[in-house]
Amino acid sequence: MAKVMVSLPDDLLSEVDAEARRTGTTRSAVMREFADRALRRRHEGRASAMRSLLAEEAAPHGGRSADQVKATRPDP
Amino acid sequence: MTTLLLDASVLLAAFDPDDKHHEPARALLEDDETTLATIDLARYEVANVAIRGWRSPGSVAPLLTAIDRLADDGGVLASTGTLLTRAAEIAEDRTISVYDAAYVATAGDNGLRLVSCDERDLVSKGLAVLP
Repeated sequence: MAKVMVSLPDDLLSEVDAEARRTGTTRSAVMREFADRALRRRHEGRASAMRSLLAEEAAPHGGRSADQVKATRPDP
Repeated sequence: MTTLLLDASVLLAAFDPDDKHHEPARALLEDDETTLATIDLARYEVANVAIRGWRSPGSVAPLLTAIDRLADDGGVLASTGTLLTRAAEIAEDRTISVYDAAYVATAGDNGLRLVSCDERDLVSKGLAVLP
């Protein structure tokens, strides 16, 4: 596991430390968990939005997506 | 956790059940454990295919919405002069277009893994992986 230095405002650090005391863990563990949770929420939000979008909008267009991209690029 | 950089072909394949990479491309977009990103060029490329290739103007908005959702996740990375200079070098070295090389350069500069359905120019040369 990498060790990093992070700058935090004093009041935010106080809240992180309070959370660490409350849960009986370390400052590092709290920040790790918060970062993990925030990223997971972001992925889940994107995945959920994609599921809805694709369920409604996916439709047959003949395939060959990579060739289509090249064919519609401007000529050099 | 690796961030995946998607090129336009992956986004298009996810929306097109006729594409041979449709299922894995769609599964990738719907995966909730991976960070996904793309570059600003993808907006032009998907819109261009929807209009000129698919002849489906109604597909532009959903494709651009999909890219907006990536912006909320791993991001839509911007082209810069430095990036395009690197892309031009890669295009020359690997005999690919500067468009393709822009994705390769972005992935390389940011430590991302490039995902593409372009087997001929990217996957076969080890520059990208299939979805």
